[in-house]
Amino acid sequence: MTRRARRSSAGFTILEMLIATAVMMVVVGGVFALLNPAQGVAQAQPEVADMQQRLRVGLDTLYRDLVMAGAGTYQGAASGSLLNVMAPVMPFRSGDEGSDVAAGIPFREDTISLVYVPSTPAQTTVRADMPRNAAELKVNAVPGCPPDKSDQLCGFKEGMRVLIFDGNGAFDPITITNVQDEALHLQYDGELSTAYKAGSTITQVATHTYYLKSDVATATYQLMHYDGYQTDTPVVDNVVGLTFEYFGDPQPPQLLPNKPLTDTRGPWTTYGSKPPALGVDNASDAWPAGENCAFQVVAGVQVPRLPALGAGSAEVKLDRSLFEDGGPMCPDAASSERFDADLLRIRRIRVTLRVQVGPASMRGSATALVNGRALFVRSGRATSAERFVPDQEIRMDVAPRNLNLGR
Amino acid sequence: MASLILTTGVLALAQLFTLSTTANVSSRYTTYTTVLAGQKMEELRALTWGFDLAGLPVSDTETDTASPDDATTGGTGLAPSPATSLQGNTAGYVDYVDQFGHKLGGGSAAPAGAVYVRRWSVEPLPTNPNNTLVLQVLVFRLRDRGAADQNDVARMPDEARLVTVKTRKAR
Repeated sequence: MTRRARRSSAGFTILEMLIATAVMMVVVGGVFALLNPAQGVAQAQPEVADMQQRLRVGLDTLYRDLVMAGAGTYQGAASGSLLNVMAPVMPFRSGDEGSDVAAGIPFREDTISLVYVPSTPAQTTVRADMPRNAAELKVNAVPGCPPDKSDQLCGFKEGMRVLIFDGNGAFDPITITNVQDEALHLQYDGELSTAYKAGSTITQVATHTYYLKSDVATATYQLMHYDGYQTDTPVVDNVVGLTFEYFGDPQPPQLLPNKPLTDTRGPWTTYGSKPPALGVDNASDAWPAGENCAFQVVAGVQVPRLPALGAGSAEVKLDRSLFEDGGPMCPDAASSERFDADLLRIRRIRVTLRVQVGPASMRGSATALVNGRALFVRSGRATSAERFVPDQEIRMDVAPRNLNLGR
Repeated sequence: MASLILTTGVLALAQLFTLSTTANVSSRYTTYTTVLAGQKMEELRALTWGFDLAGLPVSDTETDTASPDDATTGGTGLAPSPATSLQGNTAGYVDYVDQFGHKLGGGSAAPAGAVYVRRWSVEPLPTNPNNTLVLQVLVFRLRDRGAADQNDVARMPDEARLVTVKTRKAR
């Protein structure tokens, strides 16, 4: 056997083995060191993307309805913003079930109710006087109604949410339960707060309530939507913060000059419903002759009932105490649809929305702060930086177009 | 050789994690800058720019929309801005926002905690300067925009720029 052949069949020396093993261990160790945090990143990043998507969906959903608040009818004599009829933005739950009005709760910082008239042919007037306990209502086939009424009376359908209102500040949201096309009759569900005269307006309406559901026992934190009738549905999961702030007109409503209250077409005021003419009493409310929730008679002249909140017209923040001071209430304090007249001032809404990551294993302690603000509202059990996904919070302002028509 | 292949493969895989993280961060900046631009635009749109009961024009040129406490005086409101207000931090036409979307105030220098910069401009429309304004808002992550500011580059990645028109409306 030659020397070379002997060397090639002799295998590795112990030194060579030790060196090879050491090199391999260093390489494998490096690989594991790289892979371990990468595994955390791989778990966290889809959750980050999901959280951002939920934030976007929440904001988009709120914006879409907030910006429409106050849009009113656009056919017939009563066309114009709902701000001349009622408060289209309310900081509480409004509707048939679990109404905060009935419970005497005037303000919740995490709840908002919005009302607007969507794009719809279902806009007409009441044909005959309606007593308060009427079971059905008769409507006029106004020119805006679709010509073929055999399928739908002026576009009204079963289950449609509608608003009936007169020119004196009375209004009621109700739900259509039956449509009798040929007879021009509608049946509805819901109790009227007052009687309505022929000529009152009836229109399809969109009613939305958004609120924060925080159930600690089941760890359920959701942005919820209520349709004003029977249904509450979750919109976005893992929402841990929702607040609404309000900014508005510091000046009280004014009667428009050169606009007699006897004119059939409004608006008659800068905002809010018109008062009855001097010396005339509105039998459907409790205010004296010539007055309503926004105007009173002083020395024979109709003047604003609300105070000015500042000089000029620059928007001011509307503190919750304004809405909790018990009035003046519109249409009056006895109405089942009553609201504080200061709600008519609202011109801009600020929304703060905060979402958290779903798995608790990616949330840290609620005591962790950055610039004095908590990274987590709800504590989790994350222990490593790779699996640490802080809550995301954002603010947006919305100035509903139909609440700012004169601005 | 085997170690080399293993290491190369793992490094290539690790790069994907970096990419996904970068994409998420970029997506977050884009979302925030867009929402913050919309917020400033809504603030400007809500300022008074109409007519009083006597039919005379009323303009809000005092509200400080940069103020964290929404001051109604001491600001510029809808007063016309300098021509370069989108290219530099011009007091009265810039504010700073933290990572939670909270306003920190205005001024030509960013305060501590600022993550986003919002600049805006208010220009009277040349064909109807007394009644119509062109409003623009530019929002970007706090950083030096470099040549983009010198050349008035409209929008870079992760930035948001919105434009709208506001006109006086009769009641």
